[in-house]
Amino acid sequence: MAELAGVYAASHGPMIVRNRDKLTTAENESLDSAFIELGRRITAARLNVLVVISPDHWVNFFIDNLPSICVGVGEVHDGPPEPWLKAFPHRKLAGHPALAEHIVRTAVAHDFEPSVSYKLTLDHGFCIPLWKSGIAPLPAIVPVTFNDIEPPFPSVKRCYAWGTMLAEAIASYPGKLRVGVLATGGLSHSIGEPDMGRIDEAFDRDCIRRFEDGDAPALFDFLNARLPAAGNGASEVRNWVAAHGAARGRGFELIRYDPIPNVYVGCGFASWKLG
Amino acid sequence: MKHREEVIVEYTALLPTHHSSPITVFQMRDYWLSKLFFDLQTPAIAEEYRADRGKVLARYPLKPEVRAAVEADDVAGLSKLANPYLLRFYFLMAGMPEDDFLRRIRSTGTSRG
Repeated sequence: MAELAGVYAASHGPMIVRNRDKLTTAENESLDSAFIELGRRITAARLNVLVVISPDHWVNFFIDNLPSICVGVGEVHDGPPEPWLKAFPHRKLAGHPALAEHIVRTAVAHDFEPSVSYKLTLDHGFCIPLWKSGIAPLPAIVPVTFNDIEPPFPSVKRCYAWGTMLAEAIASYPGKLRVGVLATGGLSHSIGEPDMGRIDEAFDRDCIRRFEDGDAPALFDFLNARLPAAGNGASEVRNWVAAHGAARGRGFELIRYDPIPNVYVGCGFASWKLG
Repeated sequence: MKHREEVIVEYTALLPTHHSSPITVFQMRDYWLSKLFFDLQTPAIAEEYRADRGKVLARYPLKPEVRAAVEADDVAGLSKLANPYLLRFYFLMAGMPEDDFLRRIRSTGTSRG
């Protein structure tokens, strides 16, 4: 049977890369060290597969057909299309179709309706954390896109349930694999909206406390009340909620919180307590 | 037996309004404007657009008022019609300086917080 060997979260704000020359040395060092600590933990877990939950930023999907949740079941995924990510070291990333198929089958058995894609392109949401954390070697990637970008969104409660289902899928996979889950995105930020650039530090710190506490119903109430006012990008906290579900709501250990104005994002990094 | 109009009025009263809370449960978009923004993520199309806007715009059946808003770089007007990520991408691609975009989008009001 496969083993859930680690559950993690990391922000993926493009300005971490694109605005690097506008950040202070201390800000860059803080972000770099947070990613490196995250990568150290992921590498130490000796993963065969990493399930990465991220939004698709209008790369694979459009309003012609925008899945709520989509599992990448392909043998291989394309690297990021963003011109400013040319230095990302992988043009192709290996997938794990067998685990991806098992996740889809388990999801359906649990009354979910996942979409599947045999050919996903992984944008900065996936690739900034994979790159900046320096995970070596890079495990096979099962990408899962959550629609955090364009309403209607999956509910917070539904995302948590999806995470618990994901943990069950990993535990019931009939193969000897060490599997991790990495949720990317968040915390508060606003893109293309009137409050673009605003970081809601009070929301972020409350949110972190509730993830640390591990009380899932309290987290749902908090997010249902406060998420709508934390900026459209804060919707990506849904991915963290799925990770929280995968970790059975055991609570997480914060690696770093960096509210850096020139990144536009309240950047958070964490790993969950398991076992 | 109720008249059809009465039933419709009762049903409509149950529907959430688009602006009843800061969260947007669902918001209709302008499809062709969104498609233009989406397609401009392709570098070759973006290059063509920067060289000759009219040539690219002619391929999209935009409503006259939407096309006029595009031609006028009307951030406020377009912000109501497309996803905010695509809106932000579009003006970045089109060459509007970040500070200018921020000033214009912030002038549209405070939708949150």
